[in-house]
Amino acid sequence: MLPAGCSRRLLAELRDALDACAERQRQLERSLRVSRRLLRVWEPAETPALEPTPGPDTNEEARPPARTPSPQDLKELELLTQALEKAIRVRKGLSKAGGRDEAPSRKSRSIVSPATTASVPPRASGQAGRRASETKPPRGVRQTTVPAKGLPELRLLSVGDQTCKARGAQAAKPEPGLRDQQIAPSAAPQAPEAFTLKQKGILLRLPMAFRKAASQNSRLWAQLSSTETSDSMDATTTAKTQFLRKMQSGWPSSRLCAAEVEAEVGRLRKACSLLRQRMGEELTADPVDWMQEYHCLLTLEGLQAIAGQCLHRLQELRAAVMEHQLAPWPEGRLPSAPSSCGGGADSIWSPQLLLYSSTQELQTLASLRLRVAMLDEQIHLEKVLMAELLPLVSTQEPLGPPWLALCRAVHSLLCEGDLKAARVTLKLF
Amino acid sequence: MGRRRRRVDPADAAGALPAAITALSRALPGGPSPETFRRAKFDRPEAAPALWRLLFHVLSPRPADDAAALPTPEAQARLVKSVLRSQGYPRRALVQLPEDGSQGSRELLLALSWLLARGPLLERLLAQIRVRLGDEMPVCEVHSYTRGCHSDRSLGHLSVTEAELLRDPEGGRQLLRRLESENARLEAALEWRRRELVFWQWMDTVLDACPPEASQPTFLPRILERGAGELELVARELQALQEELQAVVEPRRAAWEARVGGWGPGWKATQRASEEAVRQELTALQRAWERGGGLAQPHGPHRLVRSEAGTLGGPGLCATEVIKALRSREACLEAALRQLQGQCRQELARLVGALPGFIWILPPGC
Repeated sequence: MLPAGCSRRLLAELRDALDACAERQRQLERSLRVSRRLLRVWEPAETPALEPTPGPDTNEEARPPARTPSPQDLKELELLTQALEKAIRVRKGLSKAGGRDEAPSRKSRSIVSPATTASVPPRASGQAGRRASETKPPRGVRQTTVPAKGLPELRLLSVGDQTCKARGAQAAKPEPGLRDQQIAPSAAPQAPEAFTLKQKGILLRLPMAFRKAASQNSRLWAQLSSTETSDSMDATTTAKTQFLRKMQSGWPSSRLCAAEVEAEVGRLRKACSLLRQRMGEELTADPVDWMQEYHCLLTLEGLQAIAGQCLHRLQELRAAVMEHQLAPWPEGRLPSAPSSCGGGADSIWSPQLLLYSSTQELQTLASLRLRVAMLDEQIHLEKVLMAELLPLVSTQEPLGPPWLALCRAVHSLLCEGDLKAARVTLKLF
Repeated sequence: MGRRRRRVDPADAAGALPAAITALSRALPGGPSPETFRRAKFDRPEAAPALWRLLFHVLSPRPADDAAALPTPEAQARLVKSVLRSQGYPRRALVQLPEDGSQGSRELLLALSWLLARGPLLERLLAQIRVRLGDEMPVCEVHSYTRGCHSDRSLGHLSVTEAELLRDPEGGRQLLRRLESENARLEAALEWRRRELVFWQWMDTVLDACPPEASQPTFLPRILERGAGELELVARELQALQEELQAVVEPRRAAWEARVGGWGPGWKATQRASEEAVRQELTALQRAWERGGGLAQPHGPHRLVRSEAGTLGGPGLCATEVIKALRSREACLEAALRQLQGQCRQELARLVGALPGFIWILPPGC
């Protein structure tokens, strides 16, 4: 039988590992769900208020530098947004009356009444290449017109022109859409226009309130993570150190804590593998002249010395653990709390941008990340199992068939990563 | 929001402490009310439950998002005690607190302050619960379909989160609320930073209010049972490595000395140059495992941004670099796993080999 404590710990570890996997899977599924929903046609209720600004230079070409919209722009945009909102409300009460398929060559915006609807992006200039060929969506995009009654006559031409001009219309190409615009009175009310990210995603604009909050958020984080010091900061640090010292004064000197021992043992393990790796490199190198030979010799001797130091440190730690000796408090150097973030603590402040340029890169990135995470987990489990099961092999009595089975299972599990063996072990116990 | 220097004026002291405590209370996620802090100084029992809860959330390894999984108050108290001990909390009084959560507010206040003093606890907590606006999961299509519409030019396109908030206004409002409340917390954290000096002076008085710790504590630090095992394994590894190196180095050194013995002093300068070069190389090597060392991990939260190579010349990691780093990390980990497995094999052979009457036969291919 596996001792109770051992099996309890193992179960806890394995459960943790399973939970972590399940959580990862859930996150991926959620992300997929959300993305798929976004890529489908949005429900009419979800259709956002779009900015009717085409801009000849949308995504393909470099955008002109951002400029703050003039008050005139803002006012007209506001009117537009209000009209859109009203249109959406009104639209809900309208019956579908068939639609007009949008002609691919149609350059005009579908603003056929002064009140705009979700406008179709003009198949103009910057988007000519790809998007023009995509103008025949599986479902016909129907345009909506809304009865103009009660709505102010918006001078859309002027808005369009204005914004076009405002964008520094270095568009050499004219904006035929606007000129050709039909401001014909609407006929029968028509069905709501379907919104897809694919076609109109570029027209989306984040709400002002959100943008403000988001930029304030990054500003505050930048301030929080800045490490500039001042007199008051130094005084604070001194006060903190003093407080810690007073807390410590329960007994004269501190002791190494478990977290520190664990961290240091981990570092020394890493040291060992790096030293070994370097040794391997030196031994396989082929010195060309005596200088290189000497360099190699010195390196190997240096590695030996460092290995000795590490071993010495480990023996100190072992002594401290075994005999609970008191270790001197590291002056001025606050021991780091084990970071639950896993990686370096430096990266917790602001998410860096990770620039990718193709789907292929994303795929590679994703699969590598997964592989690395899996390997991390495997190594962790390997260490845990080693620490728990290997001692059992030496202490199990009597040395009968169950013990033999344990040995075989441990071998398969730990040395070959064979999980089937684990099932055998568990069955026997 | 400039960083004004604030000298603690005695006349100001009356207002400074409550302001500092309020800032801390607002900044801490799940932070107890300022009143709780004041009551804790006098060890009032009603302040204890809030502090137990706070410490549990701060110290528990995985921040519990869903309330259903929350352990009982007793379990929470046990975890708090155990983690603090393993981190070296120096006071015995904590261990002696009853686990029903009914007492100990002053000791818990001391424990919280101890954690705050040791490291960037507040910042770490805030970063853990940070509202993520970008995409960390690889998503492509939303990025390409929304190119050009982000007001932040360095980003260029919307993330899934941002597109979602446009599609679902109610969800968008919730996101906005979360963002705004995070901003409020961040402002409070900055406020706390400006004012915290007076808090530490106050904590001194709290400590003084405690009865002195009677005797030398006899409780031993709870070194994790596993830790000792790993220590032994690493010790054996290092021992083996050292022996191997010794076996290689001794003959080489002897051969070298024999060769060089006849050379004049002329080459001493070159010799010293070599020594210096090697010393530098090995110091650099050591930095790879020392405390605080380590390469920038490309695992932290990153916001994925699609950009044609070279257009957004701004700050940010390049996917190709990250991929390279991940590949090399993958190779390292594979090597580490193989090495561990090899070590297991050796260990097992050693353990079984030591027993009389047993022959350890490895399966073929091993």
